[in-house]
Amino acid sequence: MIVYLRLAWRNVWRQRRRTLLIAIAMGIIMTLLVFYDGLLGGFEQAIYNNAIQLLGGNIQAHALGYNAKAARKPLLPIHNPNRVIKAAESHPDVIVASQRIVTGGMVTNREGAFAVSIIGIEPEKEALITPVAKTIIQGRYLQPEDGDAIVIGKGLAIAMNVDVGDRLTVVSNARNTQTRQRTMTVIGIYDVGVPSVEKTMIYLSLAAAQRLFRLEGQATEVIISLRRIGQEPTVIRALSQDLPEYELSSWEDSFPELKETMELKTSVMVMIGVFMLGIASIGIFNSLMMAVFERTREIGILGALGLRPFEISLIFLFEGVLIGLIGASLGAILGTLLNAFFAYYGMDYSAFTTLTEYTALISGRIYTQLVPHKIMQHALTVAIISALAALYPAIEASRREPAQALHYV
Amino acid sequence: MIHYVKLAYRNLGRHRRRSILSGLALALGTALLLFIAAFFEGEMRSAMETTIRLNTGHLQLQDADYDPDKLSVAWEYLIEKPEQVAAQIQTLDAVAVAAPRLIANGIVSAGDEAVGVQIIGIAPESKANDPYRDGLVEGQFLTAEDRDGILIGYPLANSLGLKPGDRLSLLVNTANGSVDEQVFTVRGIFSTGTTAYDKGVVFLSLAKAQVFSGAGDRASLIFILLNDREQAEAVAAAIRTPAYQVKTWRQMNELLVLVNDFSNAYLAVINLIVLGVTATVIVNTLLMSVFERTREIGILAAIGMKRRQIIALFLTEAALLALGGVAFGGALGWALSAYFGEVGFYFGDLGMSAQMLMQDRIYTVLTLEAAINLILTAFVITLLAALYPARMAARMEPVEALRGK
Repeated sequence: MIVYLRLAWRNVWRQRRRTLLIAIAMGIIMTLLVFYDGLLGGFEQAIYNNAIQLLGGNIQAHALGYNAKAARKPLLPIHNPNRVIKAAESHPDVIVASQRIVTGGMVTNREGAFAVSIIGIEPEKEALITPVAKTIIQGRYLQPEDGDAIVIGKGLAIAMNVDVGDRLTVVSNARNTQTRQRTMTVIGIYDVGVPSVEKTMIYLSLAAAQRLFRLEGQATEVIISLRRIGQEPTVIRALSQDLPEYELSSWEDSFPELKETMELKTSVMVMIGVFMLGIASIGIFNSLMMAVFERTREIGILGALGLRPFEISLIFLFEGVLIGLIGASLGAILGTLLNAFFAYYGMDYSAFTTLTEYTALISGRIYTQLVPHKIMQHALTVAIISALAALYPAIEASRREPAQALHYV
Repeated sequence: MIHYVKLAYRNLGRHRRRSILSGLALALGTALLLFIAAFFEGEMRSAMETTIRLNTGHLQLQDADYDPDKLSVAWEYLIEKPEQVAAQIQTLDAVAVAAPRLIANGIVSAGDEAVGVQIIGIAPESKANDPYRDGLVEGQFLTAEDRDGILIGYPLANSLGLKPGDRLSLLVNTANGSVDEQVFTVRGIFSTGTTAYDKGVVFLSLAKAQVFSGAGDRASLIFILLNDREQAEAVAAAIRTPAYQVKTWRQMNELLVLVNDFSNAYLAVINLIVLGVTATVIVNTLLMSVFERTREIGILAAIGMKRRQIIALFLTEAALLALGGVAFGGALGWALSAYFGEVGFYFGDLGMSAQMLMQDRIYTVLTLEAAINLILTAFVITLLAALYPARMAARMEPVEALRGK
């Protein structure tokens, strides 16, 4: 066996030009495929990450029994939120975990009444992740010690005709369906470019929400933000062992429509990727097949020397695998370098468009992702195609009469 | 010239399997480019069409001071005697339909749940409301005399657990700045196939909405659909007066234009990658074939073919290959786009905001312009890719080439 491998290895380097030509082509193609996947991951983050953070983090932890009544946003306090936060933040994929009080309610002033989600947050922690903190256009973002102060969206500010410093009445039901009402001052207005979101989310400090809803020292949920979309299942699995008495749900459960959009969008992009892989396979198959047919005479000599067709095919199979592996490693290295470069510096879109500023939810700069599992997959595909492409002509040539093969031009 | 074509054709035919595979790679590349373009175009068109049909119309006539972000129903922002104004606009040839609408902010509550919605008062018999009428899943559509009925979207009905005949409480912001609350009966449940829209609006008859919100005989806007959307600017100029402002679909859908631009940029990068893969495959195959045919090239040179002529021969071969590949790819891409243009891709609830509505199904649209551009690009790239191998062939020394190394 090892003899055939050695023979194959020598053949690979005897035909140096051919090997390099094919391996380089494989390398370039694989680099492009890897870059495509990296870009895809980058787009996913650019388009959906901000939306997920805005809607409430990658993972939410609630008290048991919350999900049954989730549509009503019940004020169901979570037991010992600090324990969840501590457990979550010790996980390496977690950027930050923070507690919230979330419920539905209304804001009213002389312009009328508007249904909103009232969200009590830990401002300094959420500032790390939420687009709200980065898109304050008037006034300022919340601070932990803020009392009767709220941050509202631009859409709501326009509809209610309010400015920073104006007062609004916040109405909601505390526990036991007891109506709570409180006048609060607008201290900041955010603008994420999506009026339907801006109209329905108002923020206040956790302490103020605790007072408003009589939940001193408590919270209704803990939101956990991750480094990347797609890490949710692993993190949930890791956390649920330590935290059995909580309901952990990812944004995919909480916002199924967003997940569906993303998945289907991604599936089309993956389909395009598969198509490209098909093109690449044909190319690799073609080159390698040419290279082997070229050597029909050599195969004749091997036959004349007494190698059986099976043994000849084995040599060529090994050759194909070796060339495939050389090409694949070349592609893996180049692709990773390319992805790493754009992951660090980001890819500016301005070359392809007249606009550089999109809404705050879509960033104009794409940071590619390193995609190790995809690289393995592509490398394997390239090696297999390459082996098959070498095997097919070798089998055909080795079956010929050695004398005939020797005469092949 | 015809000479080269004949020679090139024979050369390709001599290595039939290889030629077919190279052509196939190119064809798949071209088909993929066309399909991607058709997909993105279909997505954007569907978004624009849906938004126009359901939300903005081609034109909207509003009071000069009306602000669509506020949806105020205070009298000074509204159009007086809207039925007459609409009837007048309707007489224009370019206008397909014009209908008054009154829009107010409101809150629907049923049980202990409350959801913020847009309340839209419509003239029920107008053709402008066909998308809602055709999308009725349960119950009946509104009639002009209906004083108690409300039409709600399927997702809203679902989350509040409502069926036709059930009652819900509706709170509205009224013309004088206060709020009013009344109980309505769910008359019908509609689905336009656009979840983002369906969950955020409820319909009343115009007359009821006017009484409920205290707007009197006034409307927020006249919703206008044209026979040809390119006439929007011309019609807008014709009906604009100092008292009214007229907004075109282009102005009302700026966010969509923005997103369109973003996805075009995205598309450009993906196209480059696809072209890169295809070009690499072509260059590699041609290079391999040049090396394989070293002896043949030596003979050509030995019998007196000039470098230029050898380049021309190889380029002609590449051109024939490209022609075949691109033609086949064009047909394949067109067939794929046509198929998915009929059947569509199911996509679930797209679009998180009511400014950008999408159907839940995407139908691919291949424009002639995009097809021609992409096919030409693929062809030119292939020829450029062939240039290097062809020059490689021409540079060989006849004697050495004859020896085959």
